[in-house]
This record gives sequence, structure tokens and C-alpha cells, in this order.
Amino acid sequence: MALIAIIDDDPDIIEASSLVLKSKGYEVVTASNPDDGFKIVTENNPDLIILDVMMDEPDDGFFLAQKFKRNNITTPILMYTSVSKTIGFEFGSGDMVPVEDFVEKPISPDQLIEKVKNLLK
Amino acid sequence: MEDRNPYILIVDDERGLRLGTQRLLQSEDFTVDTAENGTEGILLGTRNDYDLAIIDMKMPDIDGLEVLKEIKKARPNTVCFIATAFASYDTAIEATRIGAYSYIPKPFTPEELLHQLEKGYNQRVLTIEAEKLRKEREERLLELASEQSRLKTIINSISGGVLVVNKSGEVVYFNNAALKNLNLDSLTIGQYILDKIPEKATEIVSGFIDGATAENLTKSIQIELIKDTLFVEIICSTVLNNDSSFAGVVLIIRNITEMKKIELVKSQFVSMVAHELKTPVAAVQGFLKIILDDSIPITEDQQREYLSRSVGRLQGLLDLVNDLLDISRMELKTKQRELGSLRLKEILESTVQFLKFECEHKNIQVISGIPDNLPVLHADHNELTRLFTNIISNAIKYNIENGKIFITVTEEKHYLVIAISDTGIGLKEEDRKKLFHEFFRAKNEKTRGISGTGLGLTIVQRIVDSYHGKITVESEYGKGSTFKIYLPKTNK
Repeated sequence: MALIAIIDDDPDIIEASSLVLKSKGYEVVTASNPDDGFKIVTENNPDLIILDVMMDEPDDGFFLAQKFKRNNITTPILMYTSVSKTIGFEFGSGDMVPVEDFVEKPISPDQLIEKVKNLLK
Repeated sequence: MEDRNPYILIVDDERGLRLGTQRLLQSEDFTVDTAENGTEGILLGTRNDYDLAIIDMKMPDIDGLEVLKEIKKARPNTVCFIATAFASYDTAIEATRIGAYSYIPKPFTPEELLHQLEKGYNQRVLTIEAEKLRKEREERLLELASEQSRLKTIINSISGGVLVVNKSGEVVYFNNAALKNLNLDSLTIGQYILDKIPEKATEIVSGFIDGATAENLTKSIQIELIKDTLFVEIICSTVLNNDSSFAGVVLIIRNITEMKKIELVKSQFVSMVAHELKTPVAAVQGFLKIILDDSIPITEDQQREYLSRSVGRLQGLLDLVNDLLDISRMELKTKQRELGSLRLKEILESTVQFLKFECEHKNIQVISGIPDNLPVLHADHNELTRLFTNIISNAIKYNIENGKIFITVTEEKHYLVIAISDTGIGLKEEDRKKLFHEFFRAKNEKTRGISGTGLGLTIVQRIVDSYHGKITVESEYGKGSTFKIYLPKTNK
């Protein structure tokens, strides 16, 4: 079964997301800051990365996504966002942010599983 | 002048003629002065503004023409007659050239004299009337000119740009600020302007011109002229002639860069707030959906844990909303301040008492050194309590188990200095700098698991500022922090 890395600074979100994914049989590794996130991805070589857009700084999720691409890590990334509408970003195009898909918090288990399945195809 | 008698000077060395003429003219309601020679004639004729003067040509001391010349020089409006028995064409011409109104041949009959004087007097009235009108006109022009220059000075002094465009799209008027706010180097009156101003403003102006509307219309627009540097608001209004026909468009160009910057800060704050509010909601919803989802198997213990974590997140959300409301009240100043005479010692002690449970939970000892005889503070009780609660609860939250908190108050010149130190985890230098930023929370391996809104110190800073005080932070990562609050002593 596929391995998924979850990088988010909110332990409750990590917990809930992990539980949902594990219940469907996925394996999960987690990190709560960009540095640890980079480490678990390089060490475990997951099939999918779930990445929160905002951790210590308002957009360090973006920077981490860019860092992955710069280091030739082509693992698909699903980005968690929370305030896309208020900060005016038109998400959906990967040109500016090198990620495969976005999902806006709060996320329902069904929605998460569907997005994950799509990206793992 | 019509209200008084004609005022006349007779200059003649012949006594009989002089007195005879005087008597005749006085009987005709003239006011008469006489001079018996040229010297006296010049003296009187230059000193008084006579309506008329009759000057004898031949006098022993000074020639009549010389007297005429002097009088005309000083009193150009005095109508002068030359009287002489030796009439000649040449002298007549010479006298007229110098400024004589007419020439009276001697001897003259009273009728002849009075007829001549009447004509001369009318001339004098007309001259003076004309002069008065000319003066008035000059004064009015001067006034008009200074009114115009005053308006010009005023319009040039205002920071808003003023630009007037006629029906053909040409500049009719502009002030200095118009150039500056439109980022133009120069403009010339009469120059076609519609290709010089921002496109969106041109659209409005052209719309007005094409419509040639005979009504007062105003449209405004905000334009970013230089990226991140110059924002302007352009207000376009129609200018109408007196008969209400369309004359042109006046543009008021305001520099709104500062306002836009504040707006940006505000919208960034709003998106930060949205993020902070949404995060706990997302966490709670995540847990609840798992609990409700039958396809995700969880134990009863897990369910219990998720519910209790949800309650914790909701409490955090509530705290955040309360902090936000406090900040908004402080900003709007809607909260009525209740200033009273407060004893710092009492407030600090009751705050510590209020946080006793949190202290005991981590076995933290509070050691305070607060003198009894401190001057009273004139302040709002709730605000000061909030200020110390936020700082002391941070000193507890970011302290270690079995740690200590020191509270001292000292007097330093005009300030009461409250120092609150802890033996906690301290701050990294880069975090110390951002400490008072909204929503900033130091994140490292030691702060994990400590909850907070990120607004506590923002509120502290605002309360301290509102009392014209200051706050400083000294800290060493891993050792602890000291917050010093300087509150001005109340002058009483």
C-alpha cells in the first residue's frame, strides 16, 4: 500500500488526517515543520506528500514545495490551504506553486480519500 | 465738487483789475483767492487745488507763462486761463502748449469772462470725473489681480492636484500638485492632455466630453500609477458655463498611497485572522467527521480523546475571539475607560492569586518584592489587570516545571518599573524581535504543546502604549525572560 507523508504544524490535523488515511490502509509518516518535512520525504521516499500551506511563516509550505522540486523530488504534492480566498490566490494552476492539487481546510474524510486516490493513480 | 462753489485764483499785478474781477466772481458765488505777483501766484497755485486760475501774462517779477507752467506741474487738473492785453497768436499757442485751457484777451466784459470760466469749470468737472473713474478702474483691476493671484497661490498650495480640461481635451488650468500626483514632468496650457493622463481617467473625461452633459456629474477612480509607490484617486467633475452648457472637466488628483498601504496592512491582518479562526475549526471538524464516519474504525477511548481535544480547540477559538474583540475595542476606543487611583501592589497580588491554580499545576513559585509605599497610579483597573495577567500567564506557560517567577517594582525617574522574570525556556533572538507582532508565537521543540492566541503580547503592547509607557524584553534561550513595563507616574 502507498506511503503518504503529512507535513502540517497542527498536531490535531496530522492526527485526524493520519487516522483517515490509515483506516483506508495507507501508511503514514508525519512532520510538524518544514525542516522535519524535508527530512521525512528524503528518508522515506513517499508516494504522496500532503503539505500545509502555512506553518511558521505565512507561506513556508510554498517554499518547501519549491525546495522539493529543486531537489528533483517529483513526488505528487497535495496542498492543504486555509485562506486561499481571503489572500486572493487563484489556486488551481501549478505554475506559481509546484503542487499537483489543493484542498481547502476543513477537509472531510471522503474528500481527502478521493483526492489522494486521484493523485496516486 | 458740485456741492461747493468753484474755487478760483486770480494772479494779476494790476490792483484794480484784480479786485474788480474778485468782486464780480464773488457775486457769482465763486470762492476767490488773489495773488498780486507771479511769486505769490505760484505759491498759492501750487499749494491749493484750484478749480480755475486766471493768470496775467505780463507781471514784473515772473512771466505769466512761467506761473502757468509751475501751477500745471503741481496741479494738472486746475483749468488755467491766460489773460493779456498783448494778444498774439504765438503766445496763445505757447500758452496752450504749456497747458492753458484758453486765452482771455484784455479788457474783457463780465459776460465774456463768466462764459469762459463756465466752460473751463465744466472741463474741470469732466476731467476730475474721468480721473476718478480711471482710478476706480485701476483699483478694481488691482484688486482683481490680487484676488486671482491669491486663488492661484491657494490652489498651488493644496496637496490635491487640480487639472481643468476643456471640450477639446486641452489643458486650461493645472496646479503643481497635478503634475506631481500624475507623475508628469511638464504640461502646457492648451496642450492636448487625454493621452497624458491614465487611461481609465481618460475614459471618464472622454465620456463627459462626448456626452457634453449639461448637468453636474462626478465620477472617481483609484489608479496605481507606480507599482507599490504611487496610488492616486482621480475625481472627475463636469464644469458648466453660466448658461448650464458643458464647458469642460475638472480633475482632482489625490495621492492616496498611504491610505492604500494601511488598507494592505488591514487586509493582511484580516487574512491572518481568517487563518487563525479557521485552523481550530478545521481541527474540530476533522475529529467530528471521523467520529461520525462509520467506515473509520476508532475505539471508545480514541473517540473520547478526540472530543476532549476538540473542546480544547474550541476554548482556544473562544479565547482568540475574545482577544480580537479586545483589540478591536481598543482600536475603536469604544471601551469606556474607568480611570481610578490604583495601587500597583494590590493589582499584582490579585493577578498572581487569580493564576494560582496554573502555578500550582506546574509547581511554580512566585517571589515578589513590591514596596508598600509606591505612588498610586491613575489608570483603568481592568486594563492593568489584563496587562499583568497576560505577562504573568506567559511566565507560567513558558516556564519549566518547578520554575520560579520574580516580580519587582521600582521607581525610576518618572516611571514605575514593573519587572517580571521567569526561569523558563526563553527566546531566540529572531523570535524576540517578532514577539509583539500579531499572531506571532515562538515555535520550537520547547514550545510545542503550549497553546495561545498569539495576541496576548499585542494586547499588552497596546495597553502600555495607551498609558504612554514602554515595554522591554531581555531573554536568553533556555534560561528565561524578563519583561519590564514602564508606566509613567501620575502627576498629582
